[in-house]
Amino acid sequence: MNCHEVRRHWSLYHDSEGDADLHFRMGEHLADCPGCAQWFAQQSRMEGLLADKLRGGEPAAAIWDAVLTRSGLAPEQPAATQRWTWVLAIVAGVLLVIGISWFASRPPAARGHDLAEVSVKWHQRLEAGEETLQFRSESDLAVEDYLRSRVPFPVRCPPRKDAGFAVQGAGVFRIGDQPAAYLFGHVDAKPVSIVVLPRDKLDAFPACQQALLGDGTLHSREEAYEIVMAGIDRNAVMAIGQTDVAHLDRVLHAYGTYPH
Amino acid sequence: MAEDAGRTERFLRHLEPLQVALEAYCRRSLYDPNGVLDVLQSAVAGTYRDFYLYVEGTNFRAWVFRYVHLEIQNANRKYRRDRHEELPADLSVEEAWNLVLDEPLLQVLLDDPGAILDECDAALAEGIWGLAPQERSILLLHAIGEFKYREIAEILQVPMGTVMSGLARCRLRLRARLVKFGEERGLLRREGR
Repeated sequence: MNCHEVRRHWSLYHDSEGDADLHFRMGEHLADCPGCAQWFAQQSRMEGLLADKLRGGEPAAAIWDAVLTRSGLAPEQPAATQRWTWVLAIVAGVLLVIGISWFASRPPAARGHDLAEVSVKWHQRLEAGEETLQFRSESDLAVEDYLRSRVPFPVRCPPRKDAGFAVQGAGVFRIGDQPAAYLFGHVDAKPVSIVVLPRDKLDAFPACQQALLGDGTLHSREEAYEIVMAGIDRNAVMAIGQTDVAHLDRVLHAYGTYPH
Repeated sequence: MAEDAGRTERFLRHLEPLQVALEAYCRRSLYDPNGVLDVLQSAVAGTYRDFYLYVEGTNFRAWVFRYVHLEIQNANRKYRRDRHEELPADLSVEEAWNLVLDEPLLQVLLDDPGAILDECDAALAEGIWGLAPQERSILLLHAIGEFKYREIAEILQVPMGTVMSGLARCRLRLRARLVKFGEERGLLRREGR
């Protein structure tokens, strides 16, 4: 593929559309041609900023309350219960104040935790069967669709078998106060989890946030688990498992590279 | 009763993570800025009414956006401002790109987009309203809904080629609008001046 072709098809590559062969050839060209790589990075950055701008603006919090109430999905309380609601509200307020005081006196919990450590613990629970997969499927498309409808941030297509990852299912869990998506499957017949978070919501993990500012891949180890992490598009993605790091690397970098 | 409560709970669980995007899509698409609540209410009521047709594990996101899109179309028609103009004949992606490929100011914009984007709310909104209705929907579904081309084609009931060419045109027109805005405000200058 030459420079002209790459610049003609950049949007397909940026949008993760088009066929796998096109992506492969464009990826190869961009890796070898600094001029096109810079040009593509500029286009991508512009698109990202424009999309952020279009998504932005202050959401009106009251709108959804009104929508749901008027649609009959958030029924108004009968008048007889309103007195009790007041009493309960006052009690809840007192408890809230006590709770906040107690919470403020504690040392920071989830915020102090390392993102990798929290994710490894989740992987261990999945591996041990202590958590059941919320959605069980071996279809990458079904898994992608499932996650897209359940998390408020963009997620991309899971790695497929050709990258060595056999997906078994997916779900959503929380890290601190943020929802995170996970994919569970096998690499080399060993359980591997892929955890996906919005890249711009890593405030609770400043070290990871800082490290992901670059384009590199981070490697770490937690107990017996290898962890590979990278910022991919608008996601922070982490692959975790007791398997070869190079295989985790390959799986991680296959995340989101598949067009439909 | 219990079945209804379960259905409502399930519906709200699906809907909750999409609320911000649905609202943003409405705000950017409606001619009448006061119509957001009505449109969302009608779309949510319609989606809930038909929720028994929804199969778990399929694409709820695209499904609810389709309802919202149809309600927006209805509201915009009522508001009269929908221009009903013919869309320009589809350009291929390559032809569309060639429209501004040699624009030197575009390069200045790409070198430092933040300088313009921080200032351009009104120009961007104007640029979006300057798009044909279908192109506007394509752009917003892609940017706000984060849909794939195939999903946008299904939501709008148009061929996928129309989505691709429409999106390419939108990108060019918005960039052209931003370049013009930057030039008018003196935020973009040709190199050497």
